[in-house]
Amino acid sequence: MSKGQEGVLPQGKEQENLLVMLERAQSEFGYVPEEFIVEAAHSLNVSISEVYGVATFYSFLSTKPLGKNVIRICKSLPCYLKNSQMIIKSVEDEIGIKPGETTPDGKFSFELTNCIGACDEAPAMLINNDVHVNLTPGKISQILKSYK
Amino acid sequence: MRKIEKITVTIDGSQVSGCEGMTILELAQQNGIDIPTLCHSPELTPIGACRICVVAVEGSRTLVGSCHTPITQGMVIYTHSPKVLETRKVIVELLLASHCGSCYMCEKANVCQLRKIAADLEVGLPRFQTRKRYYPIEDVSPYIQRDLSKCVLCWRCVRACNEIAKQNVFGIAYRGFNSKVVVDFDQPIDKEVCQDCNVCIDICPTGALSKPREVGEEKKGRPLVISS
Ligand code: SF4
Ligand code: FES
Ligand code: FES
Repeated sequence: MSKGQEGVLPQGKEQENLLVMLERAQSEFGYVPEEFIVEAAHSLNVSISEVYGVATFYSFLSTKPLGKNVIRICKSLPCYLKNSQMIIKSVEDEIGIKPGETTPDGKFSFELTNCIGACDEAPAMLINNDVHVNLTPGKISQILKSYK
Repeated sequence: MRKIEKITVTIDGSQVSGCEGMTILELAQQNGIDIPTLCHSPELTPIGACRICVVAVEGSRTLVGSCHTPITQGMVIYTHSPKVLETRKVIVELLLASHCGSCYMCEKANVCQLRKIAADLEVGLPRFQTRKRYYPIEDVSPYIQRDLSKCVLCWRCVRACNEIAKQNVFGIAYRGFNSKVVVDFDQPIDKEVCQDCNVCIDICPTGALSKPREVGEEKKGRPLVISS
């Protein structure tokens, strides 16, 4: 494990909680690095496959480095029924990448997520920690412009 | 020593008794009632992943998985009601919907438990049209080959490797349609520990895990010479 990752591994009781460890790595490094997974598996005495499995299951954990701003469009049913496909398309057109990708300048990462609890104002998306609701394709470029 | 409690239940109309801690499946088997199972194996911890083994229990809102539900005193169970049979059938249809469906070319077709269950439940041509799970065959290792397009995510290899072989090689990664049995960071399987173990190969209910064929060794002995 490289320097700077020390101290991120929880101590004592928390050590038993894999998810806590992964969440902490995510907020500290912006993603869950491979070496971190190896180290976490080692300290919990479970396999790398298992830790990798947990890390890839959750929409809010990423195993790749992400861009400066992370766009997460909800792909669950209520948003789908309110045309989230169109929103996905407009974001694609606006920043030129598909879900799962990061812009070459590192400004945006684009992900799809499961329900973010804003179904009553669907379609919804998150950019970093900001919720944007009642989206229409027309609103997208305005919203994206406010992120530098 | 604690006395083992006897439990009386009604299964398909007859009163039978079992012991505390027994599952519905075990009790049924003990009484000669056949319930299909896919993810279950008596050697492994039950996880209730596939739902093929569902049965109806009076008073329960939903059907329950018999392989992991313990019997309780006075339980009334139906293992072959029309609803149960219809549900099992749909479960198989859903499993097959995203399955590669190349049974004709699959070497394991005649030992495949999924295919057997489908035949037993009289599942016909696929009703649900969806995209197929597809992964390239992993044939890096000389000892084990994985064709995950055929995998039904029963977790048997994962559990067998953890519980029987004690090697913890597999995990399940990603989510939903993309769920996949992975090795480490989703690398093709080629582990030093996976040589002559075969535990997962033997326990896989489908053709997803197999020994690589060594074509050159298939016909041993002297070539056939026909002399006139
Ligand atoms: S590879 Fe076989 S045993 Fe493993 S989860 Fe898939 S179907 Fe089950
Ligand atoms: S379905 Fe999109 S926020 Fe709930
Ligand atoms: S056999 Fe019971 S859930 Fe799979």
